[in-house]
Amino acid sequence: MKARLFREILPQVSKPVRYAGGEVNIIKKDWDKAQAKMVFAFPDVYEVGMSHIGGKILYGLVNEKSNHLMERSFAPWPDMEEVMRRENIPLYSLESFRPLRDFDVIGFSLQYELSITNILNMLDLSGIPAWSKDRGEEYPLVTAGGPVAFNPEPFAEFFDAFLIGDGEEIILKFLDCVYNNRSLAKDELLKQLARIEGVYVPSLYRVEYKDNGTIKSMSPVVKEAPAKVTRQVVEDLDQSYYPDKPILPYMSIVHDRAVLEVMRGCQRSCRFCHAGMVYRPVREKSLETLKKQAAAQLASTGYEEISLASLSTLDYSGVKSLVKDLVKEYGPLGTGVSLPSLRVDAFSIDLANEVQKVRKTTLTLAPEAGTQRLRDVINKNVTEEQLIQAVEAAFKSGWLAVKLYFMIGLPTETEADLDGILDLLAKVKAIGDKYSPRPVEVRASLASFVPKAHTPFQWYPQNSIEELDKKRHYMMRKKRRRIKLSFHDSQTSYLEGVIARGDRRLALAIFKAWQKGCKFDGWSEYFHFDRWMEAFRECGIDPDFYTCRQRDYEEIFPWDFIETGIDKEYLIEENERAKKGISTPDCRQDGCRDCGVCMTLGVDLQIKEGMECE
Amino acid sequence: MRIRVEYSVGSDLRFLSNLEMMNLMARALRRARIPFALSEGFNPHIRLSMGTVLPVGLWGKREYFDLELMQEISPDMFINNMNQVLPQAMRINKCIAITDDTPTLMKSINCACYSFILSSSPTQLQEWKDNLLKQEELLVKSRGKKKNVDKNLRQGILKIEMNNQGDFAIIDIWVTVGEPLNVRYDELRDLLVQTGINEQDILDIYRSGNYIMVNDRYYTPLEKVK
Repeated sequence: MKARLFREILPQVSKPVRYAGGEVNIIKKDWDKAQAKMVFAFPDVYEVGMSHIGGKILYGLVNEKSNHLMERSFAPWPDMEEVMRRENIPLYSLESFRPLRDFDVIGFSLQYELSITNILNMLDLSGIPAWSKDRGEEYPLVTAGGPVAFNPEPFAEFFDAFLIGDGEEIILKFLDCVYNNRSLAKDELLKQLARIEGVYVPSLYRVEYKDNGTIKSMSPVVKEAPAKVTRQVVEDLDQSYYPDKPILPYMSIVHDRAVLEVMRGCQRSCRFCHAGMVYRPVREKSLETLKKQAAAQLASTGYEEISLASLSTLDYSGVKSLVKDLVKEYGPLGTGVSLPSLRVDAFSIDLANEVQKVRKTTLTLAPEAGTQRLRDVINKNVTEEQLIQAVEAAFKSGWLAVKLYFMIGLPTETEADLDGILDLLAKVKAIGDKYSPRPVEVRASLASFVPKAHTPFQWYPQNSIEELDKKRHYMMRKKRRRIKLSFHDSQTSYLEGVIARGDRRLALAIFKAWQKGCKFDGWSEYFHFDRWMEAFRECGIDPDFYTCRQRDYEEIFPWDFIETGIDKEYLIEENERAKKGISTPDCRQDGCRDCGVCMTLGVDLQIKEGMECE
Repeated sequence: MRIRVEYSVGSDLRFLSNLEMMNLMARALRRARIPFALSEGFNPHIRLSMGTVLPVGLWGKREYFDLELMQEISPDMFINNMNQVLPQAMRINKCIAITDDTPTLMKSINCACYSFILSSSPTQLQEWKDNLLKQEELLVKSRGKKKNVDKNLRQGILKIEMNNQGDFAIIDIWVTVGEPLNVRYDELRDLLVQTGINEQDILDIYRSGNYIMVNDRYYTPLEKVK
């Protein structure tokens, strides 16, 4: 297989190194000696998939700490797909160049709602039926995990099982179970798997609907399946596995650097934020662990940059000492430190100056909304004063461009809030031009708000495509010159919204969209909205039902059976506070807000380096 | 201290671009803890100059780079330490110290040898070669920047050697590179096919060496450092 690929196939395609494997630090285990054999499948191209930390953790954990084996596979770019289909080459793994069908388990990473068509396409390229009911004993188990799996229902009929929560807590139990029960028939094996905490086997549940289309009940049909599937969490990240020798790709990938996960979770409680809800509580690593992990990764990869990753790295309690120590230790070797996201305050800018002894390119900040009122509604605890201070500090220290992230279509938004965004941008531009020797560049990226499952905004209707487009036209008309606005595509956002809060009945429409040629839907050049709408029509589905409808507190949601640890009462209370424009402080500073996570999951907030007063 | 290094790139790495090859080498230097020198400025980088750019799709037997070091290191130690961290498909074969005034690889290399492995050994190979070298003009469509323009390769073809290995044959073709006439491997392949060699018979192509040609003599970049 490999010889043929190298000689005949890869010379025909763009970026062949995507498909060639053999990278530094790859782990290729002896196939015949391994117990369960799993392939980690990422439904996007290599350079996107290889930038994902979760996959690196699972790959190292399974291969280094168990007798099971894990290999990798990615979605081929359409040019490669065409050659593969023409030449009858099945989708293969990059370690042993084996077809995906040879594995016991395929594990897809669900990072984005619209990657589902790529998953169906990858199964098809592997000669594996898309529907779980059509897969007999001869096929691998098809599973998935990741943030989108917190509402797995739109994909329920494609997968045999979902792994809910921090993967490193479940994966080995899952593979042990697969291996130990290898003599069982698939339906019996699935019952055994359903007994593992955090594993959801969709075929073992029945859903009934009311006349108005909402859910009447959802319940397990066998005793092995729990009524609620509880998200699994790593209690202490200092004790959990993290790869010291991540694979070093030859290709320049999206995040081409060593990555240090400084903590998991974020408790700023922005009410729109899915990750902020489903990854609670904050669990930090200690400085000691982080420095050790940095040293190991740099020694094994030779990377020239190390990035401090998390949902909100500037909130890590030891961030200042960590940055200082890393810069001191590795700066003389030409190795840089980078911060992926900045908080909107002057402290952030100081720290950014510390690490950016290099060219000051674009500073990126996320105020999310244009007025104080709306920022209070969404609980983005940032004041205009903080933003102005941050921007002043940045321009004074030599930055020449600022990019600001906002959302449009937020709950309670009015024209005044859109004007607020434009005013804020004009102020930022004026400050920049005052402090900087040449005109500064101010850009704003405007995403469309998509209500997500498990958040305080899960009851809200999403703005329709027409509403979003109207807002875009309004802002483009009113904006000042030399301020650049870029908007997310409203059709893409709409479709994300439909799937984000969808249920099992969407599966056929998703399947039909794929049959009509939809794939790489996250890539604008391949996105075909009309095909999706056609698919919905053919299935008699009104997509507005899923995303443009106001829902009430009594409604049973498709994702309610997933126990994230957060009480529904807390989400309701947060939504009520939002309506009144009352913000909620971070529970680290102001005491427990009773969201329920720590109690339900038996974990604790973990602040490792004490509270730094800034 | 400045060193010049000869390395090989195996078939598994044939699809790497020049930038990817450079990153691979720079990261290997870091893993091997080589005391490389850094450039000045805000964005310091390793003072590494990849003298030869292997075309995507080819493997290479003798490629070269120069490197500046902050402190002395024995060439043997350099070779050892690097080979411990490099991918199996890439090996450092030779390393010598060079003086500061040694001309750069980019400036001095003016000739490369491309090798074509043919599946069967066509009996008329000698005749093919004699005929080829008799021509005044060998036109192919350019594959370089000016695409599809007629390009005469004749002056750029310096020498052809053939090696019959029984089941297969290897044709080594020495060509000029850089200015004034840069002959590319894919243009040579087109030439072979145009002049009667069956495309299906070309099993593999690699670059077997890079040379500094002075008065019809070929020196390797390690031999010609003054």
